[in-house]
Amino acid sequence: MAREKSVLLEIKDLHIEGRVDEKWIEIVHGVDLTLHRGEVLGLIGESGAGKSTIGLAAMGFARDGCRISGGSIEFDGMELTSTPESDLRVLRGSRIAYVAQSAAASFNPSHKIIDQYTEAPVQYRIRKRMESQEDAIELYRRLRLPNPDEIGFRYPHQVSGGQLQRAMTAMAMSCRPDLIIFDEPTTALDVTTQIEVLAAIRDIVDQFNTAAIYITHDLAVVAQMADTIKVLLKGDEVEQADTRTMLDSPQEEYTKSLWAVRSFRSAQKTPADPSETPVVSMKNVDAAYGDIKVLEDISFDIHSGRTVAVVGESGSGKSTAARCITGLLPPTSGTIEFKGEVLPASYKDRTKDQLRQAQMIYQMADTALNPKKRISEIIGRPAAFYGNLKGADLKKRVDELLDLIELEPRQFYERFPAELSGGQKQRIGIARALAADPTFIICDEVTSALDQLVAEGILRLLDNLQQELNLAYMFITHDLATVRAIADEVVVMKDGRIIEKGPKDEMFTPPHDPYTDLLLSSVPEMDPDWLTTLLEERGVDNVGEAARDHQS
Amino acid sequence: MNYFIIGYYAMLIGASCVAAYFKNRQAFLLIFTLTLVSFVMGLIGGESVLWSVTVAAGLIAASAGIAYSFREFLIIILPKQGAKTMRTAPLTASFGLFVVIIYVIAAVFAPVIAPFGQAEVVGTSFAPPDDKMLLGADQLGRDMFSRIIYGARNTMGLSLMTTAIAYLMGCVLGMLAAVRGGWLDQFLGRLVDVIMSIPSLIFALLLLSIFGTQLYILVLVIAFIYTPYVFRLSRAVAGNIVVMDYIEAARLRGEGTWHLITREVLPNAMAPLVAEFGLRFCFVFLLVAGLSFLGLGIQPPTADWGSMVRENATLISFGEITPLIPAAAIALLTVSINFIVDWMLYLSAGLKD
Repeated sequence: MAREKSVLLEIKDLHIEGRVDEKWIEIVHGVDLTLHRGEVLGLIGESGAGKSTIGLAAMGFARDGCRISGGSIEFDGMELTSTPESDLRVLRGSRIAYVAQSAAASFNPSHKIIDQYTEAPVQYRIRKRMESQEDAIELYRRLRLPNPDEIGFRYPHQVSGGQLQRAMTAMAMSCRPDLIIFDEPTTALDVTTQIEVLAAIRDIVDQFNTAAIYITHDLAVVAQMADTIKVLLKGDEVEQADTRTMLDSPQEEYTKSLWAVRSFRSAQKTPADPSETPVVSMKNVDAAYGDIKVLEDISFDIHSGRTVAVVGESGSGKSTAARCITGLLPPTSGTIEFKGEVLPASYKDRTKDQLRQAQMIYQMADTALNPKKRISEIIGRPAAFYGNLKGADLKKRVDELLDLIELEPRQFYERFPAELSGGQKQRIGIARALAADPTFIICDEVTSALDQLVAEGILRLLDNLQQELNLAYMFITHDLATVRAIADEVVVMKDGRIIEKGPKDEMFTPPHDPYTDLLLSSVPEMDPDWLTTLLEERGVDNVGEAARDHQS
Repeated sequence: MNYFIIGYYAMLIGASCVAAYFKNRQAFLLIFTLTLVSFVMGLIGGESVLWSVTVAAGLIAASAGIAYSFREFLIIILPKQGAKTMRTAPLTASFGLFVVIIYVIAAVFAPVIAPFGQAEVVGTSFAPPDDKMLLGADQLGRDMFSRIIYGARNTMGLSLMTTAIAYLMGCVLGMLAAVRGGWLDQFLGRLVDVIMSIPSLIFALLLLSIFGTQLYILVLVIAFIYTPYVFRLSRAVAGNIVVMDYIEAARLRGEGTWHLITREVLPNAMAPLVAEFGLRFCFVFLLVAGLSFLGLGIQPPTADWGSMVRENATLISFGEITPLIPAAAIALLTVSINFIVDWMLYLSAGLKD
């Protein structure tokens, strides 16, 4: 056991600098980190906290435009900051492995999965090619990938996202490293898939007694995975403690605020009067991309001043439903009514006023705002376009809107989107929608690209705006915590159909349709035993496969 | 052994020692390799080869010096934002800028700079250079230097106009195709394929022999030939932009096609289009020069670098470098523009927004 507990990685007083406008600015200010063999350390914090930078530094690597400017990184008795690059390269891949956030982007699309697995062991002469292939299949089996004998011989685009993430974890294990760095490995996955990957990672780390650094911004996830948790803020350590202590009694204010995020709830509204004409009403809508049917018989109503959350995994058709409402994808049958009036199917045939009434807020504020336009132009355009405002009137309106989204007008008026943080960009997206003076707004995963604290701010803002302006929201999301926070009614979708719909309170109390139950129970909770208990409850090793069997 | 050769090797070896002493690996390797190569070349070619090496090294050093001081000059005179960009510019780019600016000055102030008119006969044919005629006379006794200056104006002006027209047509059509899509995209795309399937020089010869060789026809024909290339580029660039959410937002707002093209797509497509403009300008420039060389381009007695190469081509057999001067002018401009384009491509790829 002495060997098991020995220190594997010790980082002392790590300083990292990043190059901004030809100046070096310190982004990590002296962080210490100790990791024993077989231990899993969770690094959490908002974006920009330096989680990934520290994770990479544990391999002695600094991204382009960054440099390790001080401190020491000792890996198994070896000082990484002074090791030549060629030795580091051997170390990475063979003794330290890295699992990236997006497996889909990290695999080379033109090589088979198993060939990418065998590359490192063969190159470092750890195993022969055939041995390594057998080893891969064995690991695929342990990670409970379907058809382990055959799946490796497919190309990355031929397997699903969750399977690819597991294959990548297997690949990280290919040289039996002492340390694996997981950089947000499940952030891009659906909740039901996330469980498979989490269970797989936990098992494999256990089985091989591998040490791991698990980087994430999702507290509930890190609670399942890590032995100890370290909280980071802007390149500084906030606190560190073992998982249970950290969850039960966080010491620092910042940590407490992170813990409290999930407690936001919008005020419960009275149920909408069914006799009142809904703002938007989808009636038996079918839609298809070419010959492939993506929506079948979708009907739901959205009343003024209410929020309807549309929930489902990726590919369930929730965004397609939004495209039907906006007229980007004309339905093949069924109608969309706006305040009792049938809307033309295509947005091209709608009047300016109909277009004005329904606005949209996008998931990725980066692609939703024109990078070459100033904030004043981005927000001002809808106001000028619909309201024919000019000059001083227009400026007044833009100031009003910036006030509404709680940004200081004078400071932001002349800026470009690139000069804003993620949360500020999303606020600008909201202001652009508000500039049209709409009655109905579609929010397409508006918080999923944001940190939890920032996301909470956006949700509060949307809630305030709803009360002030009596807006109706269609809130598309896969995050059930968000649903719990803001929804009045919930629509659960799966494979282009509505599985269940009803008021929020009813939806969060069982019993339900099996799929809804599966979805709800898959949302990680802040209890460190949650995953273990859940797996036992379901009585299966592989929750994802079981879920699929369950439905068919 | 004379002083030149001794000095030559002494300097090289001394410089290598200095580089080695200061642990400048790259500089040492370069200088010492040059020393070794010089031994071999000196043995084979004798002193004259060493002279040309010295001249070449001197020219490169002078160009680097010009580029360096010109960059410093620009950093000082430009406003803050421009100065910041220039500070990161490589020497090649500032050299390119310098050459292009010299050419532009020559083109704009041609009548002031040139001592004689472009069609003025001032000496005997093929007169050697003297005080009056810096580069000698051509086959009709016209001043070579004056004709080169006027040539900058004619050849560059024509190419600039042509490229601008090609760009106007290509960009508008390309972005229209990308924004509208559907049958319009298909139709324009196939039309462009047909035009591009004909070799450009032959197509130009064909069209020029049908329509005549007036200047405006020349401009239109070359613009027409290069429009498809611009179309393809702008359509591809715009194609990546029109799938963005902000374009979707603008469409859903009910914006017209013209607004989409000019206000939403074009500002984001500027960087690659401008870089391509420089490159396309070179191609047009070379095609004009080539057509002039074949006798279908700019008509005499108007001075033009392409036809000047042809007219003086016979001199090359007498070991005279006169016909190479307009050719060198063409080459220098093309290389310089490419230096600038490389830099701009780097800038547009490295931009953070």
